[in-house]
Amino acid sequence: MSARFARLGLALLALAAVGGGPVHTVQAQDAASALRSGDYDAAILVLQRQAKKDPRAAAAHRLLVRTLAEVGRYADAEEEAKAFQAANPRSPELLTSLGEILAGRGRNAEAESAFKKAIAGGASDALTAEVDLSALRLARGDRDEAMRGFHRLIDAYNQASSLSSEQLAAVAQACWALGADDPQLFKDALKAFDESIAADPDNVDARVGLASLFLEKYNRTDAAAAAKEALDRNPSHPGALLAMARVLDADGAPGALEMLERSLKVNPAFEPARVFLAEVRLDQEDYPAAVLESERVLADNPASLPALSTLAAARHFQGDAAGYDVTRKRALALNPRAAELYNRLAELSARNRLYREAADFAQQAVALDSRTWRGLGILGLNQLRLGAIEPGRQSLEASFKGDPYNVWIKNTLDLLDTFPRYKETRSEHFQILLHGKEAALLAPYTEELAEDAYAHLSARYGYRPAGPVRVEVYPDHADFSVRTVGLAGLAGLGACFGPVLAIDSPSAREVGQFNWGSTLWHEIAHTFTLGMTGNRVPRWFTEGLSVHEEHRARPGWGDDVTVEFVRALKAGELLPLADLNQGFIRPKGPEQVAISYFQASLVVEWIESQRGFPAVVALLKAYGDGRSTEQAFQTVLGTTLEDFDKAFFAQLEQRFAGPLAAIRPAEKTVVLGPAARRAPTDLEARAKADAGDFEAQLAAGTALFHAGKRAESVPYFERAQSLFPEFAGRESPHFYLAAIYKDQGKTSEALRELQQLTAISDSHYRGQLELARLLEDQGDLAGAARSLDLAVYISPFEAAVHEKRAALATRLGDRAGVVRARRALVALDPVDKPEALYQLALALAEAGDAAAARREVLHALEIAPRFQRAQELLLRLHESRTGGATR
Amino acid sequence: MSGILRRALLCIVALSASWARPVAADESHLVIVVGLGGEPKYTEAFHELAVRMIQAAEKKMGVAAANIAYLGEKATYPALPVYKGRASREAVQKVLGEIAQTAGPGDLVFVLLIGHGGSQAGESRFNLPGPDMTAADFAPLLAALGRQEVVFVNTASASGDFVKALSAKGRTIVTATKSAMERNQTEFPSYFVQAFSEDGADADKDQRVSVLEAFTYARREVERFYEKGHLLATEHAVLDDNGDGTGSSVPDPATGDGAMARRVFLGGGESTADGAAASADPRVAELRRQRRAIEEKIGALKARKDAMESAQYEDELEKLLVELARREAALRQKEGGR
Repeated sequence: MSARFARLGLALLALAAVGGGPVHTVQAQDAASALRSGDYDAAILVLQRQAKKDPRAAAAHRLLVRTLAEVGRYADAEEEAKAFQAANPRSPELLTSLGEILAGRGRNAEAESAFKKAIAGGASDALTAEVDLSALRLARGDRDEAMRGFHRLIDAYNQASSLSSEQLAAVAQACWALGADDPQLFKDALKAFDESIAADPDNVDARVGLASLFLEKYNRTDAAAAAKEALDRNPSHPGALLAMARVLDADGAPGALEMLERSLKVNPAFEPARVFLAEVRLDQEDYPAAVLESERVLADNPASLPALSTLAAARHFQGDAAGYDVTRKRALALNPRAAELYNRLAELSARNRLYREAADFAQQAVALDSRTWRGLGILGLNQLRLGAIEPGRQSLEASFKGDPYNVWIKNTLDLLDTFPRYKETRSEHFQILLHGKEAALLAPYTEELAEDAYAHLSARYGYRPAGPVRVEVYPDHADFSVRTVGLAGLAGLGACFGPVLAIDSPSAREVGQFNWGSTLWHEIAHTFTLGMTGNRVPRWFTEGLSVHEEHRARPGWGDDVTVEFVRALKAGELLPLADLNQGFIRPKGPEQVAISYFQASLVVEWIESQRGFPAVVALLKAYGDGRSTEQAFQTVLGTTLEDFDKAFFAQLEQRFAGPLAAIRPAEKTVVLGPAARRAPTDLEARAKADAGDFEAQLAAGTALFHAGKRAESVPYFERAQSLFPEFAGRESPHFYLAAIYKDQGKTSEALRELQQLTAISDSHYRGQLELARLLEDQGDLAGAARSLDLAVYISPFEAAVHEKRAALATRLGDRAGVVRARRALVALDPVDKPEALYQLALALAEAGDAAAARREVLHALEIAPRFQRAQELLLRLHESRTGGATR
Repeated sequence: MSGILRRALLCIVALSASWARPVAADESHLVIVVGLGGEPKYTEAFHELAVRMIQAAEKKMGVAAANIAYLGEKATYPALPVYKGRASREAVQKVLGEIAQTAGPGDLVFVLLIGHGGSQAGESRFNLPGPDMTAADFAPLLAALGRQEVVFVNTASASGDFVKALSAKGRTIVTATKSAMERNQTEFPSYFVQAFSEDGADADKDQRVSVLEAFTYARREVERFYEKGHLLATEHAVLDDNGDGTGSSVPDPATGDGAMARRVFLGGGESTADGAAASADPRVAELRRQRRAIEEKIGALKARKDAMESAQYEDELEKLLVELARREAALRQKEGGR
C-alpha cells in the first residue's frame, strides 16, 4: 500500500463512528447461513421476521433492504427502506441503501439527496454513501467534485484506527476510481479490498469488487480466484455469478452463459448481468435481441450508460444511423463528457471485428477525455489491428503511462519491443513480417503462397483488398496469442483483422499439428470476405468461406470430417444456422469450435454447389449492406433459415449416411489413440461383435498393428476404411495400410493409400514424404516434387526434404525449382554453409542468373576461401563476365 | 556511424590482420577418458563415441596410434590396442603424467572426457569407476603440460565449472554445459565427435576441422536438437581459450575466445596449411607465399566490410578471391593435383 495509506490517523472519522445497532445475533447468523447456501428466500424471511420484531433495528432493516435489492425486488426494497425512514425519521441508517436503489432506477436526483443526508446524518455507512455519491457525480461528468469525494475516503482511511469491512470496500472503490489520476492507487484499491475481505470473509461484495478490478486489468487468473471465493461464500450471489461468467467468457471457456443465466435467475433485473447479456447478443450478431435487452435495462434505469452503450452499438451495427444518434445523444445528455460511452462502443465494435469503427470510437473517447487510459489502450490495439504500428505503439505507451496495470496493454507493448528482431519483406500485395531467425527460409514460400492466394481469390471474388495486406508470422505461439487477444493461451493458429493477419509460424508447433500454408490461405480469404463486407460478415460465414477456400486451394487442405462431427450430426447437436455463430464465439466445449468450422464450410460449399458462386458473393454484398443472415438468405437465396436448415441437414444425412451408420454414441465408443494399443484381444472381440462400428474396427487394427501383427490388422483397417472413407485423423487407416502394403512389396496399393490419405489430410507430414518417395520410385518425379512442396507447408525445416526437392527439380529440368530448394537449404543455416552457398550459386548459374550466382559464390568463398569447387565456379563466372580481363 | 564505433572498427581490423596461423603442433596426443555409464545403454553409447573418435583421429587426422590412449569402464578391450584399461583416477593421472614426460614442446595434447558429471559441495565432478575426478584434480595434470598446447574437452553434464578451474593461457577448455547447474544428460558429445568423424564441420573448407569448428558444429547441432524436439535446452556448451576463466557460447576470435581454438587441429592437418611451410620447389614456395599474402588481404577486407558499400566490397573480394583461386589452381598443378 502506498505512503498515503500508511499515514493512519488515530481519530475515527465522525461519519464512521456512529453505529447502526447490532442485528440480533442468532437471527443474523441464520440469515448469514442462508445466504452462504445461496438461499435468498430463507434469508429474507429471517430478516423480515427480525425487522418486524424490532422496527428500530437499523442494521437488520438495512440487511433486509440490501438482500431484497440483491434479488431484484427493488420496489420491495425501496418500500422497506422508506417504511423504516418513516418510522425512524431521525435515523440516517437506511438512506445509503435507499440511495443505491434509487440510483439503480435512474432516479439520480433523489439518490443524491439520500446520499447527502446519509453523510450529513453521520450514518454508519456514510463512507459507502460518499463513494456512491462520488460515482453519481462522475457519471454525470462532475469529475472534480467526484474526485474530491473519493479523496475524502482516503482521508477517512488515514484518520481511522479501524474501519469495517464495508467501509474498507468503499475505500477500495474510491481508490479504484482515483487510479485514473494516479495508477498507484489501483494497488491501494487491491489492498483495501484485501483488508475488507480480511475484516469480513463473508463480504461477498468485496470479493466481487476484487474480481471486477482484476478483470478490468485482464488479470483473469486472480479474477477467477476471487470470483470462485465469492461463490464459495454465496453460490447464488448474482454479482459473483456474473463475475465468474465474465471470467469464463474472457477465457473463451464453456459455461459463461450458464453462469449468466444463474445470475439472472436470482435477480432477473440485475443491471450488469442484463447489460452483459446484451453484449453477448451483440457478439452473436443478434442485434434485435441486443436492442431488446438494452431497452429492458433502460426501462428500469433510463440513466444506465452501459445499456445506452449496448443500445447505441446495436443500432450502429444494424446500420440504423438515426437510432444510433438518438441513443448517443441520450447518453451524452446524461454526461456530455462520457468518454466511457465511446470506449464501450469501441470495445463492442472490436468484438464484432469492426476495427476501423473501434479505432474511430476510441479516438472520440480520447477527444472527450485525454486521460481515458482505457480509451487510449483500445485505440492503440485497434490501430495495430489496422496495421498502423507506430501510431498504435504511441497510443499504447500513453495508455500504459496512465495505467501500467493493464496486462493486455503491457503484453502488447512487450511484443512490440520484439519487432526489431523481425524482418519485413514486401511482395506485390503483401507486407510480411517474419522473425529474423527464419525469415530467409520462410519469406519465399510465404510470398509465393500469399500472392497465389491473392490471385485466386481476387479473380474468384472480383475484389481486391486495398493493399498492402500485412502478414505477421510468429515463431512463438504465445506472441501470436498476445497479438490476437493480449494474453497467452489462445488456441487458434491464425487471426485476421482485415488488412492485418497473424499466424503461427511452422516452428511454433510440433510437426504435424497444423499446416501453416493452409492457415495462411485461410486468413487471406478472411481479408477478402471482411474487406468486401466492411467487416460486417457474420463470423460463421467468413469462417466457412475460409475453410472452403482452403479445400479448394490444395488437395487435403482445410478441416476434415471428424468422428466428433458425425456424432454431433447423428445426435442432432449441430447448431442451426441462426445459432452457428455461438459455435465459434461461445462454444459449449473445444470440440464444438472444430465442428462449427467444418459445418460452416459445408454450408458454404452447399450454397455454391446449389446456387453457384455468384450467390455466395451476393450474400457477402447483402451482409456488407447491413443485412442480417435471415434477411440475406431471404433476399439472395429466397429461403428462410428454417427451410435452409431442413434442406441442409437432410443432404448432410444423405452425404454422410455411411459414417452416420458406423459411428456409435460416445458412451459406447472405443477410445482411439495410444490407449487403444494396449489390449488387442479385447479390441478384436469388440470389433468382431460389431462389424459396423468404425471406431471399434480402427482400434482393433491399430492395436494389432502396434503389437506387430500387421497382417492380422489389415481386415480391420480395410473395414474401417469402407465404413468411413473420409476419415483423415491421425490414426487414419490409410497410413497403416500403406505401411503394411509397402512391407509386402505392394507398391501400387501403398501408393494408392497414401494418395487417398494426403487428399484428405493437410498435416500428415510422414504421409507426404512417404508418398514422395514412392512416387519417385515409380518414376513420377513431378508427383514426388508436388508431394514435397506440400510437405514444406507442414514443416519447412528439414534439410533432407529440400535436398531431395533440389535433386528432383534437377532431374525435371526445373531450374527455378532447384534455386528455390537451394535457397531454402542456405536459409536453414547449415554448418557446412559454404557448400550450401556453392550449390545455390551453381543452381543460379545454371538458371542463367550469373549476377546472383556470383554473389552467392562470393559468400561461400568469403567463409571458405580455399574451397576448390567454389573457386572453380568463381573463375568460370568471372571469366565469362570479364573475359579473364583481370588476370 | 558514430566516432566511437569507427574506432572500434579499427581495432577489429588490427586484430583481424593476424590472419589464422595454425599452431605448429609437431605431434598430437589424444587421451579419451570414458567415465561410468551407470546403465548399459550409456556405457555402450559412450564407448561407441570413443571408438568413433579414435577411428577419426587415426584415419582422418593421422594421429599415430602410439599417441592415443583410451581409458574406459572395462579392464580390457582386446580389439582396441589403444585401450589402456579402467578409467580410474590413478590411471588418468598416470596416462597424463606419462605424456607430460614424453611429449615434445609444442605438441598438442587433446583430452576428451565422455560420461556423466555432477556436482557435490559446490565442486564439479566427472564420474569415474572409483573416486570421481574434480577440476582441481585435473589442474596439476594440465599444469605439467606447460610446454604443450592443451585442449581439454569435458562433454559431461554439469561440466561448466571446469572452465574457471582449468582456464589458462595456451589452453583451450571446452565444456558441454555452462555451469554445474545443467545436470541433464548431454547431447553435446555425440555431435562433437561427429564433427571429427563425419563431413560437415569443416566450415572454411580447408580440409581440416579445427577445435573451434568442431565446437561450433556441436553447439549448433545441439541447439537444433532441442529446437526440433520443441524442448527447453538443458545444456549450453562453452569454449574458453584466452585464459580469462569465462567460457563463450559463441566464441568470436576477433574479440574474445576462439582465436587459439581456430588454429588448433588434432593431427595438425595438412602441414602446408599456413603457406609458410618450406618447399623444395621455389615456384611452389613462391605460390604459397603469394597465397598467404592474398589470404591476409582477404582477412583485412572482411574486417572492413561493415564500413563499405556492398558492391564495392564484393568487387574487391572478387578480385582477391580470383587471384587466390588462380594461385591455388597453379599450386594444385605443381603439387600434382589435390
